[in-house]
This record gives sequence, C-alpha cells and structure tokens, in this order.
Amino acid sequence: MAEYDIYDVEDIRKLVDGELPWRTVQQMMKNGKDRDRFDKWVTILQERVSWKEKILLPLTPALFIVQKPRERVVKCRCGQEFGDYRVNWKLSALIHVRDTDEKLSQVYRGYEKPDPAWMQLREYYCPGCGSQLEVEAVPRGCPPDFEFLPDLDTFYREWLGRPLPESCEFADRTLQRIGEWAE
Amino acid sequence: MDTPLKLRERLRLNDELFAKTGCMFGLETLAEKEKSPGLYEAVWHILLSVCNTAWEVGCKVSASPVAAEGGDALWALHTPTGECICTSYGITAHVGLLASMVRKFIELGYEDMPGFRQGDIFENNDPHYGGIHMPDMDTAMPIFYKDQLVAWATSVTHVADAGAVLPGSINFMNPDTFSDGMPVSVERIGEKDRYYPWYELRIKSRTRTPDWVLGDARGRLAGLITVREKLIETIDKYGLEFFEKASREYIEDSRRYAVARIRTQAVPGRMRKSQFKDLAMKGRDVVMPRQNIDLLSNVPMEMRIDGKANVTVSLAGASASVPFGQNISPTALSSALLMGYSHVVGFDMFNSGPTYALTVETPPPGSWCNPFPVDWFASTGIGWASAIRWLSQLYEVTGRLYHARGFVEEMSAGAASTLCAEWNGINQYGQYSVGLGLEQASNGSPARGISDGEPAAWCLYTANADFGSAEVMELYYPIMYLGRNMEPDSGGYGKFRGGPGHTSVWMVKNSPELRYAAACAGAHSKITANHGMFGAYPTPGDRLAYAVDTNVRELIEQRKPLVHDRGNDPERPTLAQNVVARVMDNDFVVPGNISETLHEYDLVISPTSGSQAMGDPIERDPALVKDDLDKGLTRPWVAENIHGIVARKDARGEWTIDVRETEKKRQGILEARKRRGVPFRDWWQQERGRVAAGENMDEAVKRMWRSSMKLSPGYAAELRAFWSLPANFEF
Repeated sequence: MAEYDIYDVEDIRKLVDGELPWRTVQQMMKNGKDRDRFDKWVTILQERVSWKEKILLPLTPALFIVQKPRERVVKCRCGQEFGDYRVNWKLSALIHVRDTDEKLSQVYRGYEKPDPAWMQLREYYCPGCGSQLEVEAVPRGCPPDFEFLPDLDTFYREWLGRPLPESCEFADRTLQRIGEWAE
Repeated sequence: MDTPLKLRERLRLNDELFAKTGCMFGLETLAEKEKSPGLYEAVWHILLSVCNTAWEVGCKVSASPVAAEGGDALWALHTPTGECICTSYGITAHVGLLASMVRKFIELGYEDMPGFRQGDIFENNDPHYGGIHMPDMDTAMPIFYKDQLVAWATSVTHVADAGAVLPGSINFMNPDTFSDGMPVSVERIGEKDRYYPWYELRIKSRTRTPDWVLGDARGRLAGLITVREKLIETIDKYGLEFFEKASREYIEDSRRYAVARIRTQAVPGRMRKSQFKDLAMKGRDVVMPRQNIDLLSNVPMEMRIDGKANVTVSLAGASASVPFGQNISPTALSSALLMGYSHVVGFDMFNSGPTYALTVETPPPGSWCNPFPVDWFASTGIGWASAIRWLSQLYEVTGRLYHARGFVEEMSAGAASTLCAEWNGINQYGQYSVGLGLEQASNGSPARGISDGEPAAWCLYTANADFGSAEVMELYYPIMYLGRNMEPDSGGYGKFRGGPGHTSVWMVKNSPELRYAAACAGAHSKITANHGMFGAYPTPGDRLAYAVDTNVRELIEQRKPLVHDRGNDPERPTLAQNVVARVMDNDFVVPGNISETLHEYDLVISPTSGSQAMGDPIERDPALVKDDLDKGLTRPWVAENIHGIVARKDARGEWTIDVRETEKKRQGILEARKRRGVPFRDWWQQERGRVAAGENMDEAVKRMWRSSMKLSPGYAAELRAFWSLPANFEF
C-alpha cells in the first residue's frame, strides 16, 4: 500500500487551504488514500494553534478534543475550553436563539423566512472568540444535537494501533451535567 | 452430477455463510480477483456496459418525458438469489428495492409456482411487498444460460401517473393506500418476452397517461432483453464458471470496500443529527377531512460505528405515520440509504455489497418509516418525501467523520431539498396529459470541506443529475420557459456555500386549462433543514410563486418587462413588481395544489433548492463573495449582513471589496455575538419553562413530540431528562 502514500504534509496543507488546482484535488479523490493522513492532518492543525495541548481529534474547524494532564477536553482554536469531551460542548457555549419573526428576519427575508412557531434557529458561539461554531434549525423542545461523540480509545488502540496512555469510558455524560444543573 | 439447490435453499445457505464468516457467500478470499485481476476488472466494466446499454435502449424506447428526457430509470444485473452485481447509471436509489424484490419472488416460492422460465417478466410496485410507491414500477426477468438460471435482469422507471387519487406521480396528497393507484403486487406480468394483454389493459384503464406508462413498460422490457442478450454473449466469451464466481466476488469486494473506507477514513463512535419534515395542510385543498391538519415529522439519524467498523443506523425517535403519502417501508428506506451510502462511502463497485456493511435498526413500528405494522393501509404515495430529508443527514454525518480524520476532499455538507412540479390538463396537442417537471433532478451540490458546491449539477436520489432541456420540456408540456436561472443565495450561507439551485419561470401556453401541484419529494417550507454544519446557515425553505389571470399578454404586446426570475429581493419579488393578476401568491407554502385552474399567460415560479453550506459565514473569503456578487449569486444584503463584507459597486457593475473595513466589520460581528449570546445554562433554565408550557409551539410541533415519545420510550426519557421534566410529562 506504500504506493498510496504519495502526499506529504505540505501537499495536504495546500489541499486544506484550497491552494491546489481542482484537477489535482480530483486526482486526490480518485487515488488511494494515504494511510497516515490523520497524522499529517493533526500536524497541520497543531501548528496553527497557539496552545500546547496535544490534539487528539478535530471535531470541527474550530473545536478539538485535546489531552490535558488529567482529562480530555474540547478546546477552541482560540484557547477557550468547553470541558469533558463526553459532555455536549454546546452546554459550555454561548447561545443566541432566533425564535421570533424579527430575529429570523435578520437572516432570512420575505418568502425565505421560516415560521418561528415551527422552528427556532440556534446559534452557538465560542465565549472566547465569538466564532459561530454550529447552527441548529429545530423545533422548540429539541435537545441540542450532540453531533459527534467519538470512541477515542477504540480509535487510537484498534484503528491507529497506538493506545492512549489512560483509557476513558466511552459514554455520553451530557445528561449527568444536566442533572447537576437541575439539583 | 449434484442436483442444483433450489433458490430458496441457496438463499438460506448464503445467509448462513454470511453469519458464519462475515463475508458475502462465505467468500473469505477473492480468488478470481487474485488469480486474474485484469480479467476481473475488465469483466466488471463489461457488465457495467451491459447495464448502461440497457439504459440507453430502454430510455429511448420508453419515450416518456420522465425516462427519455430525465433518465429517471435504471437497469441492473443480479445473482440468481437477487443480490445486485452491478447497475446502469440512472436512479440508483432503487438498487436495494430491486434486489429485495427478486428475493421476495424466491421467498414466496415462485420458483415452483408459477416457476421461472426464459422470457418470463415479473413486476412489483406495491409498497406492502417491497416497492417504494406505485409510480416506481420495478420489473425483473430471469436469465437462463443453457437451461440454468444464472442471473436476473431488473429495471425501474418512474411513470408519469400510476392512477393515484389525484393526477401525477409525486402523490403527497394520498390519504391511504386505497388512493395510491394501480398496484402490481409481486406478479408475473408476461412471458416469452411479451406482456400479458391483461397487464396492458389494466394500464390503459387505470392510469391517466397510458401511452407513456405503456411506453415505459416497453422501455423496461427492451432494456431487460438487452441485459439478457448481452450477458449471454459475455458468458459465451468468458465462461459460466468465471461469471458466477466473479459476480459474487464483485459484491463481496464492494462490501469490503465500504467497511475498509469506514475503518481507514472515519472514526468509531456515535453521530447524531436531528432532522424534521413539515407538511402544512390545515385549511387547504385536501382529499379527506382528516387531512385538514398541520404536521411536522421527526426524522432523526443516529449512526454508531464500532471497533470493527460495523455501522448501525437508528431512527429511534421517528414520529408517527401521517395521513398523506409521506410514509415509507423499512425496505424502501434501506434501499434509499444504500444509494446515499454509495455516494459517500461505498462507491467503488456499486451493488448490494454495502448493504451488508451496515445495519439499519427496525424503525419504530407505526412511525412514518415503518407504518404497516400499525397502519396496514398507510399511504406511501411519495415515500421519498421524509426519507430524502433523513438521507440528507448521511452527507453531513459522514462529512464530519471525514473531517475528523483529515480527508477534507471527501467532505460534504447536507443535501438540497426536493420540490417537484406537476401539471395536468389539456396539452398543446388537445390531449389530456399529466406531467412531472424535472427541475428537481438538478440541485446544487453540497459544500465541500475545501470549496463551494457546484451549481445545479447534483441530485441526492440519482447519480445522473439532469433537469432535461427546456426546449424539449416545452414539446411535452403546454408551458413556455420565461426563465431558468441560478437562484442567488440558495446554497445557504457559510465559509463555503452549497451549489446554488435554480428557479424556473413558466408561462402556460396553448392549453385551455391546466392544474398545477407543487408536489413534495422532500421539500421544506415552514422550516429550513437542520443543516448548520460548522456554523453555516441552512438553505432557506421552498416557497412557490404563481399568478392567475395575468396581464402578461398585454405586457408582451406592449414589449414591457416580463418575469424571468424571482428577483433580487425576497421582500419585493419581481412577479409582484412587473405583473398584475387576479390571484397572486409570492409565498405559497409547499407542498400544495394551486386551487385555481391556470390558463394561457398564467405564471408559475418554482425554486429548486441548492445544497447546504459549511462553516462560519464571516470566514468566507472576501474574494469568493466578490465573485458571487459579480455573478449575481449572492445579494448585497447577504454579503454585508451575513458575510460581513464591505463592498462597493462601480459604474460598470463590478464590485470592489474594502478589505480593511471588512476586517473591522467582521471583528464587530464577533464582538456582537459575544454580547448577545447567553451562557447555555442560563438559556436552558429559561427555555425548559417555555418547553414545559408549550410556549410558541405550533400544534404540529407538539403533535410530533407526542408521537415520537410514544413510539420510542428511550428517546422520550432522554428528551425529558434533558429538560428536567417529570417522568410523566407529555406535550
């Protein structure tokens, strides 16, 4: 499979930054995939943040699961931390909800506008930098989507072949946090 | 010589072998591939070519606009037990249905009664037995080589009318299965390469466009015979033993590819994405009183990937079936999922293989995606409608997985919605006609991780996005295209936008009267899709515009401006500016039937959605915004307020970005977000009271939550726990 490992970190950086011609990108799509893409990807991302914690997994362009001395937390590229990665990070974000005609009109106008009795537009911001991290268009009552809860230990141990130093139970802890709030 | 196993025995054996080895047909090694990879690959392409030749022949013979102009058809080759080996281009969403149909023949004992012979033709369109909806007619033909059944050829075409209660083939308005149209329920419909006369008689008396429906039937048959003849030539050349072994290996190979792709390009864990589908019919034209209701359907997706790269998909939380055509059977849903999976995961050799790389948990009985255990008479008139919205999530979910692993070139945001255009009435040739426009078969494509999506060049439910030629559609239907334009900002707002969709402007021409349905195969109108991937805003909902009894004739005679597009301002649409009409609606909630009969010079403006965007809109490269402004693909209001761009337009109409002012404006937007955003916990404290009180929640929303929670107790418990509601709380 070594014939597939034809791209170096700089090639992937150019790909990520949209600097490659479309034909080259198409060729990369068609070719076999480089086996160590994840390492190249993390190398590129790690160089772009000012903090030192090791990136374990990128969640979004702005958010990463990183290794802290005692725990794995979600961290924004700006340095803002969102706590245990097994708790939906949205619980630690700022939220702005467009649930009125007036607020929705700042995004959708005229015949484009949804009905606020059917749907609210939730914008999740980073408290540190103000980046708009996710947007949800859901009816009232819908819990926020926990889009991605990775099984990090299985990933590193069984798929990458290099277990993380300390294992961590693969479990959704969001409701536990909510329970603490409700007390 | 051993007596060949009966097909039913072979099915059982295949299932046992798969359970035992995890490999299809128990193929732990791909012997033919290893022995002769060149031959293996070459014959794969020959078989593909066989199917594609059938597609060319069948579509030409059919002559219906849907097949001949839109290519909404498919031909495929299967093993004797039904697993799909390869398929033509066309509407690949049906591959799983065709495979399960052949399996159904075998499970029902058709091998003994009525038996399988060369030249037999079998068909099903009945959703109770594996079809998706009546207009998609699935046909199959066994292929014998020297008296041995060696394969099946199958085909599907989407007919313009299957005799549903209202004209057309996107039958969202059907209240129950008795209104779904003419069933062909797992039947033998012909032999000796000819249809039985009674099959043709049924089409003539039970469909509104019998010439087109029969044309499609003949097209399917011509393609099936083509597959058979070409396959026999192929077997003559390469030998039956090689064909039988290689054809099974193609399927196992494809399964392995899908599994390997997940393992090498995704991440184990749990993905969740909510999605919803609206249907606002209260107070509007409906067929039965119980349809006088507004409905929202819950179409959630949960995907779990374990350490062995097994993928399990769940619909826990799906809401109840609806008294409209928007229900779907689990068989059809799985087939649709296979098609989506082939786009984003297992696309090397497209066949039944990836089906065995994923598990779809049985959806809640009584839900829109598994209605029959509770409501045997539920309609599936347009089974695609909610299913398309559900499938849209597959693109975003896998896009997030590929992002995590660094395969940014494989990422996609969510898909576009599917609003359809249906006409019925007297056409320009003086005949009664029912027609489906094909605009919805060309959406914009989703944003990629590294670039915008492409305009009007993609479609979720067929690999062949093709909206047909306007000039040809004008020959089929009594309409004239006044415009067909890229719709600005129809690909959402994000760092990368989805490819925009397009808007068509039709004028009724040469018809004494015409009826129009803004039909739904997966549209949104009261809501937008839930696709705010990485901070983008979803594409707007679909709203139609129309005008009845217009002054367009006078405008033409006086050479005054007409209407060629929706206009640049959703609050001041061009139609309202340029045209005077007795009835005009610029904000028609879809789906819906226009109540008024249309006549000469009446207008319909139909939007075709773009696909979804990705990323924070204020991170969009100003040069891309300028390019969109120059091309009219974004509006100045959006550039300024959503993308935070400060720009000026010069006398030549070209835009210039003020880079410094743009940076300042964007910084201001970041600060404004921090000021208006509230800590989630504070919002949660307030919101849970509003949730409990049902504040500003349409009855459609509450009805949806009630049924979701009833059908999926685990989902209900989680919802209640999230809002800290009592265990007995109900909406």
